[in-house]
Amino acid sequence: MTMKRLIRSELRKLTSTKMPWAFLVVLVAIAGINAFAVIAGTDFDGSKGFISTEADQRSLVAFAANGFILAALFGAIAVAREYGHHTVVPTFLASPRRHRAVLAQLTAVGVSGAVLSFVGAGLTVGALVVSLPTTEYSFLISASHVAQILGASAFAGAAGAILGAGIGAVVRNVGGAVTGAVLALIVGPPLIVQLANGTASWMPNILATVLAGVGTDVSTPAAVGALIAWALVPAVIGLVAVERRDVV
Amino acid sequence: MATTSKATSPPGVAARSSGTTVPPTGDSYRLEVAHLTKRYGDTTVVDNLSFSVPPGRVTGFLGPNGSGKSTTMKIMLDLASATAGNASIGGRRYRDLANPARTVGAIIESDAFHPGRSGRNHLRILADATGCSYARVDEMLEQVGLDKAANRRAGAYSLGMRQRLGLAAAMLGEPPVLILDEPGNGLDPQGIHALRDVLRAHAAAGGTVLVSSHLLAEVEHLADDVIVINQGRLVVQGALAELQRSASLVRTTDPSLLAVQLEQAGATTEKQDLDGLVVQGMPLAEIGERAFANGVVLHELSPHAGSLEQLFLNWTTDPSNPEEVIEL
Repeated sequence: MTMKRLIRSELRKLTSTKMPWAFLVVLVAIAGINAFAVIAGTDFDGSKGFISTEADQRSLVAFAANGFILAALFGAIAVAREYGHHTVVPTFLASPRRHRAVLAQLTAVGVSGAVLSFVGAGLTVGALVVSLPTTEYSFLISASHVAQILGASAFAGAAGAILGAGIGAVVRNVGGAVTGAVLALIVGPPLIVQLANGTASWMPNILATVLAGVGTDVSTPAAVGALIAWALVPAVIGLVAVERRDVV
Repeated sequence: MATTSKATSPPGVAARSSGTTVPPTGDSYRLEVAHLTKRYGDTTVVDNLSFSVPPGRVTGFLGPNGSGKSTTMKIMLDLASATAGNASIGGRRYRDLANPARTVGAIIESDAFHPGRSGRNHLRILADATGCSYARVDEMLEQVGLDKAANRRAGAYSLGMRQRLGLAAAMLGEPPVLILDEPGNGLDPQGIHALRDVLRAHAAAGGTVLVSSHLLAEVEHLADDVIVINQGRLVVQGALAELQRSASLVRTTDPSLLAVQLEQAGATTEKQDLDGLVVQGMPLAEIGERAFANGVVLHELSPHAGSLEQLFLNWTTDPSNPEEVIEL
């Protein structure tokens, strides 16, 4: 049983239901909200200062942090539903050495999360391009910075999806997995920052902004490593849980 | 234990009904379960269970709800771990088979598909994982009668259609071994008939078939051998025809008196009509000798072919002594 076959099978699982389309709708909605903010939003002084510089515009479209959270939800749902619908049974029958199946699943979910987040960033940048002509400002972000935003979003999306997949593998039901992902990424980080001084720079949303080029809390390599750690810890826990548990 | 004669077609022969070719097997695909035990906490679900399933025959796996059939099948397929003992396919654990899903086709969960995914995509996902062609997917869809509904959401399928999708998935990789948990649930009479043809043809071509079912009348038509478990323990294993002939019918002027005497000697009896007695657990000759010794006049003493349902009830409704394995 080659990994290539298993990954192809997992990718088909992800693309043969309506779930990716549902997430695409969310991405379009986020881009639309951004466009509406550019068209209708103002600062307190009534100006559009929030889009007046390249840095402002980059901050507005730095999608990596959003991509991380959205992809985490995607990964959690994608894996947890496998257990809910018992579709892990044929998967583990095809690959009884379950770590291979889980690695294939993590790969497929990671790739999908990267694509999802990349598309989200692209739509957000596109929304800015489309909406700026309604203002007195032009598109100021350089091509290299656009590339950085897209690349950071893809990387953060992959990491988020793998984190979500790990949570999904541990929790095994969609509601619980989504709740787990929300707790881990939205409720958990502020609590951790409150309890442990100096940890704010290592929270996923801050790390993602570093990768997108709009944050400088840590170095880029450190942000890459920390985001990988955020993804791998739950993924490894999920892998161990799947290996040890009976499929019931 | 009943010895089972192998009445197989030459291995490698295409099974026409199933459209599959079962590779030569010999004993390479005999299923063996040896001293298998599974505990969940303090609850023992499978208790020192041992049996063997030969190729070339259809073996029915029977037991009341919660008797441990599904758990045993899951352990055989490495979906659950055994607390003790082991299960093997041709002497190897499932996980050690070179291409397990193309060696063993299984139905374990009848609803193991995403309701929003089409039947065709469900099978294509399995084809991707196991290295089967998409042409084989279409062939199986046609064979189980789902070709017209192949692009519909599987969640909109009837129970019978879902079972047929499960059967198509199990047979996708042309496996020589089939392990099927309740494959007949929800099938209409035509579906049951088709399933029987497919499984009989598979066994006739040398394949190994282990099928659990609550449909005892169907098993009676389908199975060559049966394995019956109760409370996780083996109750009886053997050729179905021999098991069905294991009872004797006695007609006598005093069935009550004879029943008492035979039961004291270890047999089980059941009254039939006014003068009849169905006796199990005692050879025909011994019944005659004991009747003669006690001066009971016999009008008839003959082998009695019991229905599988009656036998099943006899085997599984006496939990006071489930350890006793009936040997023929």
